[in-house]
Amino acid sequence: MIDYFWYAFLVPLSTAIGFVVLGLGGTFFKKGGGFIAVIAEGAALVFGVFFAYQESLSSTLYHDTSFVWFALPDGTSFVMGTLVSPLGALMLLVVNIVGFLVVLYSMEYMAHEEGLPRYYAEMMLFLTAMNGLVLADNYLEFILMWELVGLCSYLLIGFFWKKPEAASAAKKAFLVTRVGDVLLFVGVFIFFTSLGGIVDPSITTSPYPGQVCSSAGINWACAGFTFAPPNADSNVVFLSANSVASVTARDPNLMTLAGLLILGGAAGKSAQFPLHTWLPDAMEGPTTVSALIHAATMVAAGVFLLAITSIYIGFTPTAALVVLAIGGFTSLFAGTMGLVARDIKRVIAYSTMSQLGYMVMAVGAASLVAIGPGAAMFHLFTHAFFKALLFLSAGSIIHALGTQDLFAMGGLLRKMPVTGYTMLIGALALSGIPPFSGFFSKDGLLSLTWTAAQHYPGALVFFLMALVGVLLTALYIFRLWFLAFSGTEARESSAHPAHEPSWVMRAPLVTLAGLTLVAGFLPLLSGFSHLLPGVQWGAFGYASSGSGFSFSQTDLFLGLVSLGLALTGLLTAYALWGNGRVFRLADESPLKGLHTVLVRKYYFDEAYDGLAHGGVLGIARAFDWFDRYVIDGTVHAFEDLFRIASERGRRIQTGLVSSYVSWVVFGLIVLVFFFLYALPYLTSAWGGG
Amino acid sequence: MIPLDELVLFSGLLFSLGIFGVLTRRNFIMLLISIEIMMNSAILNFIAFAAYSPAGNSLLEVSGQGIAVVLIGLAATEVALGLAIVLALNRIIGSVDVADAMQLKL
Repeated sequence: MIDYFWYAFLVPLSTAIGFVVLGLGGTFFKKGGGFIAVIAEGAALVFGVFFAYQESLSSTLYHDTSFVWFALPDGTSFVMGTLVSPLGALMLLVVNIVGFLVVLYSMEYMAHEEGLPRYYAEMMLFLTAMNGLVLADNYLEFILMWELVGLCSYLLIGFFWKKPEAASAAKKAFLVTRVGDVLLFVGVFIFFTSLGGIVDPSITTSPYPGQVCSSAGINWACAGFTFAPPNADSNVVFLSANSVASVTARDPNLMTLAGLLILGGAAGKSAQFPLHTWLPDAMEGPTTVSALIHAATMVAAGVFLLAITSIYIGFTPTAALVVLAIGGFTSLFAGTMGLVARDIKRVIAYSTMSQLGYMVMAVGAASLVAIGPGAAMFHLFTHAFFKALLFLSAGSIIHALGTQDLFAMGGLLRKMPVTGYTMLIGALALSGIPPFSGFFSKDGLLSLTWTAAQHYPGALVFFLMALVGVLLTALYIFRLWFLAFSGTEARESSAHPAHEPSWVMRAPLVTLAGLTLVAGFLPLLSGFSHLLPGVQWGAFGYASSGSGFSFSQTDLFLGLVSLGLALTGLLTAYALWGNGRVFRLADESPLKGLHTVLVRKYYFDEAYDGLAHGGVLGIARAFDWFDRYVIDGTVHAFEDLFRIASERGRRIQTGLVSSYVSWVVFGLIVLVFFFLYALPYLTSAWGGG
Repeated sequence: MIPLDELVLFSGLLFSLGIFGVLTRRNFIMLLISIEIMMNSAILNFIAFAAYSPAGNSLLEVSGQGIAVVLIGLAATEVALGLAIVLALNRIIGSVDVADAMQLKL
């Protein structure tokens, strides 16, 4: 039997070739070499779908550690391995399908921009790193790819670098995610130092009750989906559920800390509270970049990281509960800010934060109730399509109108029907209206969180926050849709008459709309459900199931509640903004204060600025003072000493011969005194020594 | 024979006289004369110690007198050089007063 998976490196390699060709010779091609990018990403798409399909058939882990990256003298070696796993295969689908459609869309959307070879080369580098990330087999390789996607995010947010806002947004994104990355490093160091090389086959406890680990095959509950092969030799950096179990038994606080640090890294990348401030500003980048990087793939990498680490987090309920809390809180928190944003892209960015919050919450819930993170990954999968769809539709509007201000739009449905209806599909999916995919995935993770809340009552608060978030989601996304599309006339006349884009931009929209429609039903295919550990098809949605948790009436009730909330939000949005109405708060309204707080994004930017100015700058000033007055002061004191001594000393040189002679005589007298009296006295006093 | 003590005391008096002259006089020629007096006090010391060298050690006796002769020559040379400097100085600044030759200071 041919092992297809040995060729899995072809996925990142395709785009890597595209990166090299476009990076070195992009200027020699027409239109910045967009067709080369499409071909390279097309190849990656074909390979990616092929490997994902193979994985769904076999549902085994393929693990290759033959390429040694570097080895330490003590025998520890770090490999650039390949791991084809169910979650990785799912990510391959997401990254390459969305990636291909976005690159295709760029051909027209970006056609009139300067610096296209740079754009395509950076997109290719991003896709290479992202495919590498999902195929990485150890945390070190993962971090390498993780940093590369962060770099590409920085470069692409700052694509319009001549705009000061874009340049500073790029810097902000880089610096804020850096905070998370440092936490992630430390978390991985803890894993490495406490777990690296530990292989204790005698411990076979699973974090999930009633399950016994076997050393072979794919078994979620054990090392089935970890970064390490069950049969790794001790030279390979080895992390398995077994070693985690043994370390957790020895030092539970350490594992909790490691889990929280990993969460910090994921929060930075996935724009979770409190490291969320960079994502709305990142909308300064091209819309295609927002669709690919800041909606579908890179920001989901944080959730992916949590998902592959969830088996470790599952050992420490504290860490899992914090993961759930951060996610649940962010889902509501981001939604409130999305309600008041004027910029069409920022509304979608807040919704991305909010949806990522749902996923993070679901990973935490899955860790708490000890099943696979399939519910989160399924939402990641469906979200990638409908969110990319929303961004690309928004891009289509921006392309046509040249403005991003929602209040300048209106009545676009007549002029841009394809964009309007595809965006409507995206909005319905985002709100969680059946039969669109978002309903099924959101229902699945809500019922999972409800299950977790049954066992850990603390989680109930965050479950309720997430439920309110469902209402807000429908409210803000339909506010956006009604403001842009309903009514008859634009509120402000734009420079360009609104028009539908060409097929190059319409095709990705329609394709994504189609995927949004069908993605919810994909788990019906048994192969696809292999890619989603911990999720099963229920009567009304995807109920969490696994060890002891099965589909029930509760799930049906929850589904109806969330559907009701979503419809309430939708109808409220229609009442306030439908049919060309524009709802604005009156100035004397008691809600005006809240509105201001939301518009100012809860003053987080100001708070972080204050922290930077008060804290970091204060410390910097202290160091500056120390450097200026203590270190430099010492040097200057020596300088002054010699300068003053020489200023005074030069006055001896009077030029008068008599005075020189007096000094000579004085010296003579001193010498005579010294040799005749002082020296004999000293030698006798010190015992002739 | 004059006792050694008196010779050395006389030599010290001569040296002090010379130093006094050097410190107080402002005329260059007087300075030169004072230096000569100091030089002669040194020569007198050599002669005195040579005369009182241990009996039978003719090497010390002879070398003391030899150095005295060399020093007399040296003193003559020094006066010749000193007077040449005084002449040159007189030509440049029109004076032989040390207070007028203060250019060589920092």
